[in-house]
Amino acid sequence: MNFRTRMLVSFALAVVATAALVTWVVSAMTRRTFEQADDRRTATLVAQFRREFESRREELVRRVEAIAAMQSTLDMAIELSRPEPDYAPYVNEAGALAAAHALDFLELLAQDGAIVSSAQWPARFGYKAEWVKEQTEWKDAFLKSEELPNETALAMVAVRAVSAGGSNLYVAGGYRLDRGFLGSLVLPAGMRVLLYHNFEPRFSAPALTDAAGPARDAERLAPLIEQVRAEQREVARTIEWPDGPETFQAIPLAGRQNELLGVLLVGSSRRELAALAARIRWAGALAAGFGILLGIALSYWLARRLTGPVAQLVRGAREVASGNWNTRVSVASRDEIGELARAFNSMTQELIGQRDRLLQAERVAAWRELARRLAHELKNPLFPLQITIETLQRAKEQAPGEFDEIFCESAATLLAELANLKAIVGRFSDFAKMPAPQLEPVDLNEIVRSAARLFDAQLHAGNHAPIAPEVDCGPGLGLIQADPEQVTRALHNLILNAIDAMPEGGTLRIRTRRLEGCAQLEVSDTGQGLTKEECERLFTPYYTTKRHGTGLGLAIVQSVVADHHGKISVESEPGRGATFRIELPAR
Amino acid sequence: MPRSAFHLLAAASLLLGAASSLDAARRPRYGGTLRVELRVARALEAAEWPMTFETLVALDESGRPQPALAISWRHDASGRRWQFHLRPNVKFHDGSPLTAEAVAAALGGSGWSARAAGEEVVVQTEAPAPLPEFADRRRAVFVRGADGSLQGTGPFRLAQWEPRRATLAAYEDHWAGRPFLDAVAIEMGRSAQQQLLDLELGKADLIELGPGDVRRATQSGARIWTSAPVTLMALRFERGRPLAEDAKLREALALSIDRAAILNVLLQKRGEAAGGLLPQWLSGYAVLFSTARDAARARQLVTGAPVLSLASDPSDALARMIADRIAVNAREVGLRLLTQAGGNADVRLVRARISPLGAEQALVRLAASLQLPDLLHLSSPALESLYAAERALLEDHRVIPLFHLPEIYGASPRVKTWATPGLLRAGEWRLDDLWLDSELP
Repeated sequence: MNFRTRMLVSFALAVVATAALVTWVVSAMTRRTFEQADDRRTATLVAQFRREFESRREELVRRVEAIAAMQSTLDMAIELSRPEPDYAPYVNEAGALAAAHALDFLELLAQDGAIVSSAQWPARFGYKAEWVKEQTEWKDAFLKSEELPNETALAMVAVRAVSAGGSNLYVAGGYRLDRGFLGSLVLPAGMRVLLYHNFEPRFSAPALTDAAGPARDAERLAPLIEQVRAEQREVARTIEWPDGPETFQAIPLAGRQNELLGVLLVGSSRRELAALAARIRWAGALAAGFGILLGIALSYWLARRLTGPVAQLVRGAREVASGNWNTRVSVASRDEIGELARAFNSMTQELIGQRDRLLQAERVAAWRELARRLAHELKNPLFPLQITIETLQRAKEQAPGEFDEIFCESAATLLAELANLKAIVGRFSDFAKMPAPQLEPVDLNEIVRSAARLFDAQLHAGNHAPIAPEVDCGPGLGLIQADPEQVTRALHNLILNAIDAMPEGGTLRIRTRRLEGCAQLEVSDTGQGLTKEECERLFTPYYTTKRHGTGLGLAIVQSVVADHHGKISVESEPGRGATFRIELPAR
Repeated sequence: MPRSAFHLLAAASLLLGAASSLDAARRPRYGGTLRVELRVARALEAAEWPMTFETLVALDESGRPQPALAISWRHDASGRRWQFHLRPNVKFHDGSPLTAEAVAAALGGSGWSARAAGEEVVVQTEAPAPLPEFADRRRAVFVRGADGSLQGTGPFRLAQWEPRRATLAAYEDHWAGRPFLDAVAIEMGRSAQQQLLDLELGKADLIELGPGDVRRATQSGARIWTSAPVTLMALRFERGRPLAEDAKLREALALSIDRAAILNVLLQKRGEAAGGLLPQWLSGYAVLFSTARDAARARQLVTGAPVLSLASDPSDALARMIADRIAVNAREVGLRLLTQAGGNADVRLVRARISPLGAEQALVRLAASLQLPDLLHLSSPALESLYAAERALLEDHRVIPLFHLPEIYGASPRVKTWATPGLLRAGEWRLDDLWLDSELP
């Protein structure tokens, strides 16, 4: 991962973390605020429901009082106060009165509690409702379980007594607390009421109804109802439905004897608030997402702006490394990066100056070395020439008789030394005249095998200890583009050097192999090896470690390799031989 | 003319007019249309319209046979051969004379054979036939007119017929003389509430009443006509249903019912609690059948928590209330009765018409209509035999008699009767003897 990517990732992570943190904080605060608002709303709704419930109680009491105050009721009370009253004419009175006063239940009860007329169960006339005698004065409405022909219903009942002739006629009217009653309640939006009839020893799902009928998913509310049944107190709980949460206030409904007759569930939907919170969360998430994208874009822009000059410096450094020292980077900033760029440019200028000075020095040194080498090479043949000519001069003066004989010998010596001089001049001339390579497809392995055959006799010559050749031609080397003559000449020079390095004998290894994009040629010997300094100067022209070397062999090899755009290196340690490696482009 | 003479003449005229008005109040007047409303629509059959189709003999207020289309009769010792001498100069509504051939054709069938013998009709029956059987509405005499319509000989002829409306017009040539009324307009399928309202508003002259409506009708000034108990209300267990086959349950239900409370309250004391099939007025021994409630014994008979279904006629509000009350009584002894309007049920609350033609005939017909064992061959027509047969019919409690109910009608004050009451004991109208006190405004 490069610097720009790391910087981009770092910036992006910082932006994402910040956005996530902000979103979480906003969401948490929103949720808390909404929960508080919802609690207040639920409390308000429950209070509103209680008022509605209470108003229905009061309305019931008013209606029952209205029936009790009717003249016909008083007449009935008077008739029924007589000895051995006849209930028969009144058996249908309750039904008509209940219909007229919009009551679900109405019973007219005699002094002894006998049912004179019943709207909810007309057939029960004559049976006694003992409960009506338990109290002498009736005030508020109360809850009561009402027996019906095929079921038991929950009722809100109010009782009023009509006194006549020393006895009472009781008017007991009521509303049925069922889905119809629930549906008649005026409820605020988002609120609903469910009623559980607690007539079974255990929770019974069908006993839970709402205004639309049997409540759906009643089992989900069972724990809440069971808790109210067990504790007989109000309990609040939030139920999570698939379409959102709903907070329920469970209110126990007790009868006159404080028996639990039902549980009223006032549900306040939190769906809208939850939806609003969700929308806020979504908006936060979208803003965070947008911020993240913007942050990433800005991070990319910033990273690019910061790393651009660095990249220029990298490219400049690579140019310098490749030899183009006249490289400059153009960074205009005044920060550390700009300072670095200016230092880089200064450095390259300094390097160019030093290189020029070094080249100058090297040229001088090379000329000196050439002069020294020429002087050394020429001095050796010149000295015999001088001696021979002085010998001839002395023979002319001191032994004229032998002069011819000496002349002939001296002339031969002179010719030999002149030939030697000519050879020396020729080698220098050859080095100077190194031609440009003529590239053609070449089988490097074949060149190696030819050289091995050529030098085989020399390796086993008697003037030195035997040298064992080992040739390892790598498979699949293929053809390379090269000048066969120059490559052959370079290989011969390396073989000759190796032979010279092993006067005591040894092993000459020649190996070729295929590397990625190039062919490698290795020539190793097991001679005395080279020091580190020798290795560094080995390819300098006219440098030699041999007593009679011109110092041009390896220089020629390096020249050939360089002309083929290849590389040459040496690996050696004193006493452990040396290995020359040439890599030529495969192309 | 002197002024005093004129005043004298005027006074005399006023006195004469007043005297005429008094006479009009006491004597029947001809004319007017009697508006009758009925709950159930009657079919266009001779048996359904006694004022249009007559029988050879007719039962009087006491239930005794009186001459009608026949003026005299005789029979053999076995009571299987009857010979009737027809009333002369009787004509059907289409003007055709009443002949022995027409009467013989109407009487034949159902075990009877009849033939004309001059002015007489000879009837041969398979079983001994008492005279009241010739008053049976099913033996009403009629002929088919040229247009295929039914033609009778009664005081009213059928002038117009629709499924829910019929108009009867006075028959001028009736052998007993023209009836007082010009016409009788009958509207059928009217609910009890509608009938009562129409009576109160003066839109109806004669309506059917339920026991619960009597008080209100009386308060509105109507006169109440009540027949003898002519309908048996009973519980009938349906055969083949498992719970209905449980004899103990049947007995428990029979013992659980508080007939007195129902009679006093729901039936407003209009009727009689029934322990047997026949009413007291017909059999004379009905009091021997117990109608008392025995809840303790009933509880002993009930085991488990049986639930039976009890069906009643959906159009009969009184029956539904009685069924509900029976369910309340049954619940007290541990029997659960689920009441329902119509449909299949273990028990059914039914009404059965009691034939007024005699106790034996009535018992036979009740047994048949209540799906009890066939009583066609009683060992003896003696009262003891009848009682034994009836007790045998009821001993397995497949039918639980509840009440004997009368027919009750409410008549507006302008409806007057002349020689006979408007409603006979057997529940049959006597429209020919009615007249209207005043015309409608």
